[in-house]
Amino acid sequence: MSIMLADLETEPVGQQESAAGATWYAFRHNPMGLVALGLMLVLVLVGLAAPLIVHYPSGFTSDVLQSPSSLHWFGTDNLGRDIMAEVVWGTRISMTVGFCASLLAVTFGVLIGMLGAYFPRADTALGMVVDLSLSLPVLPLMILVAALAGPSLGTIILVISFFSWPEVARVVRSQALSVVNLPYMDAARVLGGRHRWILRRHLLPAVAPVITVTVVLTASRAVIAEAGLSFLGMGDPSSWSWGRILYESQQSGSMTSAWWTTLFPSAAILLLVVAATLIAIAYNDARNPRSRED
Amino acid sequence: MSTQRGAMNLMKAQRLIRVCVIGAVGAVLAACAPSAPPTQSNAAGSSPSDTLTVATTTDVVNLNPLLGNSRTDDWVTDLMYPRLLTVSANGSKEPYLATKWGYSADGKTGFFDLRNDFTWSDGQKLTATDVAYTINTIKTQNPKGNVVSGFMSNLGKATAVSPTRVELQLNKPDSIVVPEIGFWMTVVPEHIFSKQAKIDDFANASDWVSAGPYRLSSIAKGQSYTLDRVEPYPMAPNGKPTLAKVVFKVYPDVNTEILALKKGDVDVIANALPPAQVKDLKATSGISVAEVPGLGFTHMTYNMKRKPMDNVLVRQALAHAVDYNSIRAVAVQGQAVTANNSPITDSLKEFADPTLKEYTFDPQKSKALLAQAGVSNLKLTMIYSLQDPVISAWSSMVKDSAAQAGITIDLKGMDRNTYLAKTVAGDYDIYAGSFAIMDEPVSNMALQYLPDGAINYSQVNDPQLTSLIEQAQSTIDKGKQKSLVQQAAGYVNKNMIDNIMYVQNLNVAYSSKWDGFITKPSELLSIIDPASLANIHQK
Amino acid sequence: MPPLAWYALRRVAHGLVTLWFAITITFLLLRLLPGDPATAIASTNMDATMRQELLTKYGLTESLPIQYGKYLVQLVQGNLGTSFSQSEPVSTVLMARLPWTLLLTGSALVVTVAIGIPLGVVAATHAKGALDRIVQVVGVVGQSLFVPSVGIFLLYILGLKLKWFPIGGAHDENVYGIAWYLNVGWHLVLPCASLAMVSLGSYVLILRSTLIESLGEDFCVLARAKGTPERIVVWKHGLRNALLPTTTLLGLQLGFMVGGSVLTETIYAYPGVGRAIYESVIRLDFPVLQGAFVLLAATVVAANMITDLAYGLLDPRVRTA
Repeated sequence: MSIMLADLETEPVGQQESAAGATWYAFRHNPMGLVALGLMLVLVLVGLAAPLIVHYPSGFTSDVLQSPSSLHWFGTDNLGRDIMAEVVWGTRISMTVGFCASLLAVTFGVLIGMLGAYFPRADTALGMVVDLSLSLPVLPLMILVAALAGPSLGTIILVISFFSWPEVARVVRSQALSVVNLPYMDAARVLGGRHRWILRRHLLPAVAPVITVTVVLTASRAVIAEAGLSFLGMGDPSSWSWGRILYESQQSGSMTSAWWTTLFPSAAILLLVVAATLIAIAYNDARNPRSRED
Repeated sequence: MSTQRGAMNLMKAQRLIRVCVIGAVGAVLAACAPSAPPTQSNAAGSSPSDTLTVATTTDVVNLNPLLGNSRTDDWVTDLMYPRLLTVSANGSKEPYLATKWGYSADGKTGFFDLRNDFTWSDGQKLTATDVAYTINTIKTQNPKGNVVSGFMSNLGKATAVSPTRVELQLNKPDSIVVPEIGFWMTVVPEHIFSKQAKIDDFANASDWVSAGPYRLSSIAKGQSYTLDRVEPYPMAPNGKPTLAKVVFKVYPDVNTEILALKKGDVDVIANALPPAQVKDLKATSGISVAEVPGLGFTHMTYNMKRKPMDNVLVRQALAHAVDYNSIRAVAVQGQAVTANNSPITDSLKEFADPTLKEYTFDPQKSKALLAQAGVSNLKLTMIYSLQDPVISAWSSMVKDSAAQAGITIDLKGMDRNTYLAKTVAGDYDIYAGSFAIMDEPVSNMALQYLPDGAINYSQVNDPQLTSLIEQAQSTIDKGKQKSLVQQAAGYVNKNMIDNIMYVQNLNVAYSSKWDGFITKPSELLSIIDPASLANIHQK
Repeated sequence: MPPLAWYALRRVAHGLVTLWFAITITFLLLRLLPGDPATAIASTNMDATMRQELLTKYGLTESLPIQYGKYLVQLVQGNLGTSFSQSEPVSTVLMARLPWTLLLTGSALVVTVAIGIPLGVVAATHAKGALDRIVQVVGVVGQSLFVPSVGIFLLYILGLKLKWFPIGGAHDENVYGIAWYLNVGWHLVLPCASLAMVSLGSYVLILRSTLIESLGEDFCVLARAKGTPERIVVWKHGLRNALLPTTTLLGLQLGFMVGGSVLTETIYAYPGVGRAIYESVIRLDFPVLQGAFVLLAATVVAANMITDLAYGLLDPRVRTA
């Protein structure tokens, strides 16, 4: 799934400020991107407005594993809790995990990537660390760390971001590399700009578009990673993420006999990740003048 | 520009080959796996009608029966290494390899009289020396995870006084050592196991020798374990176990396991079914569900070393803030019976005290008791293992019902290792867990309520209770023992030293084409005990 | 030194550094995170002295640098240690599992590439058309699927209802010879399909966009101008250039994929090493965990090294690169 990020490498470097308007214009005229953006906004809204939509899923009822009905649109789980409530509140937790993990990973990845591109001396070492990290078996390592550190939302967020930053760093680095040798960067250096100032004022804006897309994609991958960890029992047992709904379904053996316990949370994950990916694709298409002409 | 691109692309072309190499290496390695032995003559004779496939969710960890590990280990090794005693449906001990057992008049010597018709599959007779060897090895080496050594504190030494009699020399009278060794210990062949200096290092991973109805013939790690029939087996009809092969297959995910049973890929699901699936499987044609009586119980303990749980009123308040009926009805789907908050449950009919009653779910009374104790804003943490799906399911119910009595319970579900570490360290306010098999009331109470008991999770140190249990331990008089046990159980109930919530009856599923299973209590024996598997047949 | 030898040496050195990195990371993770291996092997009746004995036996009482040094020395001797819970050498435990993981991920990669290329070409040559949209949607949905849910769905429909495929496992018992290979293949179909579905989606998407770009490059325009048929332009010029960067990414992510099969192995009861890692985490079987990570890393490194060396042998330009 992380391959999508690589799409960004081949992007030409434009003049950001003037390009932004054109990008937005092109994006608005891509129905796929707009639909995806709308979908994402709906999901964000659902997450934010969860308390207004349904009560927090807690307690139990004797209506165990009821199939979807007018009373319970998404059916009930093995303790008779309403699955729709779980999915709605799960939107909030899953998206929070995705967003936080992505933010951490991107912050770190951007920092490493920019430093690597800007300081050629550090680049070899940093590039090596990034390449090496990419060759590690990530999911088993996540399982290991999550198990040893104890399951909680904080752990999950840290673990996912800890193993996601190398990908970001690699993409940011290659984008930044194409910028550092451009005339205006040289000019900034010749004029005696301090490194921090150059990094912040010139390099960061140049990689900003890449970062935008990276945040969205890393977040959606973090949601899948969270679901995977939760499914294996490494999630936070006291907050409702989509992964936890699937975990409870799996533990109670209901995945096929009560299909609704699996279908709805899986569909929610699918929707979110599809929306995020389509936004990224549409954004890329919009930014790339060549594909815009087609 | 273009030549540079060409060179770079060339570099990258390697990756394509790389992908193919990985695929090829995988295919070659898998093909080289020692899984395709030459066709054996007896393989042709085995048809599906005399092969039983048993599904389990846990993989075999270790095939040395003296080391304790996964439940599947026990199921497999039990088919090869006999126990001295077994347990009947009502919880009482019955003969297996031993025909008689007991103590000398002064209580300082225990004994087992053995059958003389058991033979190891390599032709050696199974005699009292094997039994004595096994007992002494456990006593001297204390193998990791072995539960029997915990019962051996008063044991001196075991001696084979004749080929069919073993005598246990005791330092002082101890009523639990004979029945507990009899039930928990599997007898291993001395002529094989004694070659190992350190029993902990022995994996018993090949060339198995069996005195049971079946013997391991091949294993595919992580996947399947195949056992072949052994003849003669004295407890099978005409000495011939009814199955040619028993195959254990590992399905880590219970959902896949259920699909495999429905399809007919497996014949039996050996692990207890998730409560929520019992109804569905009962309604599925071609599948039968057997109820296996529970021998253990599920409980919560309140850490009595911590304030304010050292106050009996607080513990009683907590006990009144649990909705026992709903937990049994919803989380366990009605497949559980009350334990009357007594450590001696109805599973042990001859010892249980019918006059003990369960605490009512009464948040008002709970509040009143807390007020009386002068405790307000009670906030406690509860630990439980996430690997236990039933407790994970009802933990939130305990939290909600306690909230009604104004008690805040913070749930700390954790993976098994952290849970064990916290448990051993006594680092919890409330502990929730299950005790799998309770076969001897006295020894179980000793483990749970003596100050240095191995599973004293209440952290109790109550002289009166200690004295009752110690008296029961040192008497071998049945009547006296029963009265002492009942007094102790009553004391635990009244002072809420241990909140024993229910006895769960387990359900296992099997294909309806099979018949003749013998059901024994507990998940350990269940319907795949050697006695059962040596006698089942297709309809 | 001849360039080829120098090249080979550099590749081997790079591989060894990668391996050392993976070993060190896992070693540190296992020691520095909370969790005590003695807890996992200790039964409830174990007292403090016995715990201490066990810790000493497995060398867990010594200082970290000494443990690390001893571990490296052992590794160099090819000794991965002995499993805490299984009383068997770690290499025995893992070598029974590793081939299945390699077979599963290897075949999933091959399927990904074999199906991904035609799909990517179709999408790129019909850019912005209906076919392109369909392929894009399929690709996006594929990479967004949650493997266990898809797995159980496939098992339910194709396994239970239609009875086309077996439910779980890598092969049946009592099957020998040619039939055994067929049996293995038959069991492989569903897990391989689920794993491939996820990687296929992203592979197609990236191949599509690179190919679109490459078809607009000068050399393709030139080829068209010279009157080369469009088929040849796409398959020979465009694809060859687009294929390389995309496959690079697959190669880079070998570790990710080999490790990522845990969920697939769980649902399909496939006896791979990912599942063994998961079980070892639950039992805190440190030696097996360490060994598994070393082995996975070594597999990736070895595969990369072999291909690099083979390539260097065939193409002199690479050696100097």
